[in-house]
Amino acid sequence: MDYAVETFQLSKMFETKEKGRKRVVKAVDHVNIKIGKGEFFGLLGPNGAGKTTLIKMLCTIILPDEGTAKINGYDIIKEPYKVRRSFGWFHGETGGRSLYWRLSAEDNLRFYAYLQNVPKDVAKRRIDALLEFFGLTEDRGKLVKEYSTGMKVRVMLARALLHNPPILFMDEPTIGLDTISAVETRKLLTALNAELGKTIIFTSHNMFEVEQLCQRVAIMRKGRIIVDAPPSQLREMLREIRSVEVEVREASDLQKVAEQLVAIPVVGKVLEIKNNAYGHVIRLQVDNEYEAIPEIAEKVQRLRVKVSAIRQSEPTFEDIFVKLASEEE
Amino acid sequence: MKVEELVSLFKEEPPRLASEITHVWAVFWANFKIFLSYRTWVITETMSTIASIAMYFFMGLQVDPRRFVAAGYGDVDWLAFALVGVATANYLWMCISRISHSLQHEIREGTLEPVICSMIKMRSYIVGQSIRGFLVSGYFMLGTLLIGIFVLRVPLIITVETMSLFLLVLLMMILSYLGIGIMAAGIILVYKKGDPLTFLLASITEFLGGVLFPLRYLQDYPVLWGLAWLMPYTYALDAARRILLTGVTSALPIVMNDLMVLAVFTAVFIPAGLWVFRWGCDRIRKEGTVASY
Amino acid sequence: METEKLVELLSEDVPHVKTPVHQIVASFIVRDFKVWWTYKFWLTLDISGILLFVATYYLFSLIASPQQIQEAGYVTGGYFTFALIGIAFQQYVFFAVQSINMSVRDEQWNGTMETVLSSATDFKTFLLGETTFFFIICSAFLFISFLAGWLLGATFCLNLASVLSAIVLSVLLIASHMAIGVLSAGVIMKTKQGNPLTWAFSWMTQLVSGVFYPLKILPWYLEWVGKIFPLTYSLDGIRLCLQGGQTLVSTAVLSDAVNLVLFTAIATPVALYVFKMGYDAARRDGSLGQY
Repeated sequence: MDYAVETFQLSKMFETKEKGRKRVVKAVDHVNIKIGKGEFFGLLGPNGAGKTTLIKMLCTIILPDEGTAKINGYDIIKEPYKVRRSFGWFHGETGGRSLYWRLSAEDNLRFYAYLQNVPKDVAKRRIDALLEFFGLTEDRGKLVKEYSTGMKVRVMLARALLHNPPILFMDEPTIGLDTISAVETRKLLTALNAELGKTIIFTSHNMFEVEQLCQRVAIMRKGRIIVDAPPSQLREMLREIRSVEVEVREASDLQKVAEQLVAIPVVGKVLEIKNNAYGHVIRLQVDNEYEAIPEIAEKVQRLRVKVSAIRQSEPTFEDIFVKLASEEE
Repeated sequence: MKVEELVSLFKEEPPRLASEITHVWAVFWANFKIFLSYRTWVITETMSTIASIAMYFFMGLQVDPRRFVAAGYGDVDWLAFALVGVATANYLWMCISRISHSLQHEIREGTLEPVICSMIKMRSYIVGQSIRGFLVSGYFMLGTLLIGIFVLRVPLIITVETMSLFLLVLLMMILSYLGIGIMAAGIILVYKKGDPLTFLLASITEFLGGVLFPLRYLQDYPVLWGLAWLMPYTYALDAARRILLTGVTSALPIVMNDLMVLAVFTAVFIPAGLWVFRWGCDRIRKEGTVASY
Repeated sequence: METEKLVELLSEDVPHVKTPVHQIVASFIVRDFKVWWTYKFWLTLDISGILLFVATYYLFSLIASPQQIQEAGYVTGGYFTFALIGIAFQQYVFFAVQSINMSVRDEQWNGTMETVLSSATDFKTFLLGETTFFFIICSAFLFISFLAGWLLGATFCLNLASVLSAIVLSVLLIASHMAIGVLSAGVIMKTKQGNPLTWAFSWMTQLVSGVFYPLKILPWYLEWVGKIFPLTYSLDGIRLCLQGGQTLVSTAVLSDAVNLVLFTAIATPVALYVFKMGYDAARRDGSLGQY
């Protein structure tokens, strides 16, 4: 079978100096993934998990230390120019830094159209359409430095689509967008995938966004892919990790309160204890939040602990990692 | 515009033309436009160029013509001698520094990453940047010479022959330094700074090339004299002065010799420069530091 | 540290005494020196730049005739000494407009200006602190240029009265250029640019202040423009002392000194006013910390 992206033991290490001592960080650690043509692939992970390094290697901007990858059938080390023909890259984290601020949006796009070998008349039509789609037609002649961050992000999205590549690397594409533009962008990506069969590799640290869009989801942690599954499985996993957080305004002994709460039959273990603006928060694993919340409420009343809120909480990456580790055992 | 309309536009797949000339043109065009947006810079730079020409004019009034004969260009005006030096030295310095300057800018602004992962070859990128640099600095050089000729009545020999030979010398001068400029760019890619180095190189070149004084006076210092003739600029300036101050007929044999030397420098430096630049590109991709500053 | 201990420490009653100005200025100088020392490479570069400059004009002096400068009253030392004094002292102009602007811009860029100005230091002390360091560095460079010149055979009239007079004139030169530096810093605070303008200013000074040629060479209108710049008077006075053997007692030198005092007396309040305006304007539109 033909793959759009296929990696073979792909690895990258970075040396950092901490107080004079050298430390090697495995940013990407022997990653093997295969992404079929036309797949909408989600890559999830907390900040620093290695998502961006992985994408940049696939984009030929960073050379791997070990292993290689094939994009659209071309090797990223041996055939970089053929690889570059095959993808469009968007990097949301830069927040619009990667544009020429002293050129207009239109000039920026025209420049990249030339660099990507798009014929002049086609480029003109596409630039017009993309600017209109992203609501930039009125400001097309203005210099980018006068744009807001959201507008810059939209110009960068347009740039990634300009040469109509079969593969799109979308690194945090909705990061700087307002809610409406984010919805439109997701809709566009879905349509590009469904109607034109484009392969989309979508990274995010928002689990719900990925679960909603993608046909397959991988989760990265410390440079490794630890989950590679359809979103239904992720959804299942998220459902299994149920938790309730108790916001404690004042308590003489927080640890003791936590112990007392764990003693309730429907409550599992303590996930974490942290501070927030109102006081302390105890996160508890539960089997069913609807049963657990009234029981916890009753308990804190009896303990005379001042509690400002008890509510269902969203699972974090750490919860998923802990769950996976416990399953392995 | 609806999502559907936009998607339908991308259904047609036009044939792709791959041409390095288009790439070079695109880099040149975009960077030239950026340059034009620095209007205040252009105006003040023009003003300070004019002020410096005026300054050299007044300095020239103090030159003792009898002592100046030692320059070896015959009975010539010092201002003419100095203007050719100043114009070519500034031209060279601007051309070379512009390349590394704009590269440094692109690294800092994060615009280099999208360029690298587009279909352009790095050599087209560097050539496009260089052409922009030559044009911008050409404006200042031409301005200097025109003010000299028409306002200050500096006796330069302007004929079709001298001009075409002068342009040839300029071209060879730039080519012989292009390798060094590209080398500096490669070093900047990796170490993110290096502008001071080009700056130092420029001031040493200017001094040893004898922009304001006859080079013969350096003969008393054998080390400096030897170093001077290790620099391409010395040959280029010598050739340019011979052409514009004494005319083609008498200058030709020496100029041909100078041009030969410049050709040798070019043949050595350009491959070396490209090699260093390639090394820089690979190195930053390996280190993953294309955009960091 | 426990919260209680910290509270205890802070509750200690410290009598409110204003730090003397010279201590604040000294702390500025120490800070600037430490920052500046990290740019060792630029330092070597600056010095080699000066040395090359001196060497260039030494070689130029071999073809220059000393006639005009001798007519202007600068008898000893010939063209090289003349140009050396010009090169050494014109650095003050460059530093006044370039370096002070640069450090103000850096402080704005790094956001350190907001912190400094929101501390108990008032803005005049701030300016004094910012500028003093540069004039110290500049004087070091002046010394280096003179040393290099002396090695290349520059000769001076070295009697005590002349040297002392030259030192007085140098102090006046520094005072007048501090005012110019403050003025341009005030402008840059508001406009956030102006670097090209300061360049143009440096060039104008070089053209009309007689750095490389006596003022008499210039046509009357440029000579007249030159009379606006304090460097003109400083260079003339210093050269009359070090090359002509004159002292503050002679009318020519004294009139130069009086002109410098007048310039400083008028320019300093104006500069402080402009700086205050720029500073207030930047505070009004909240752009103090941004660049």
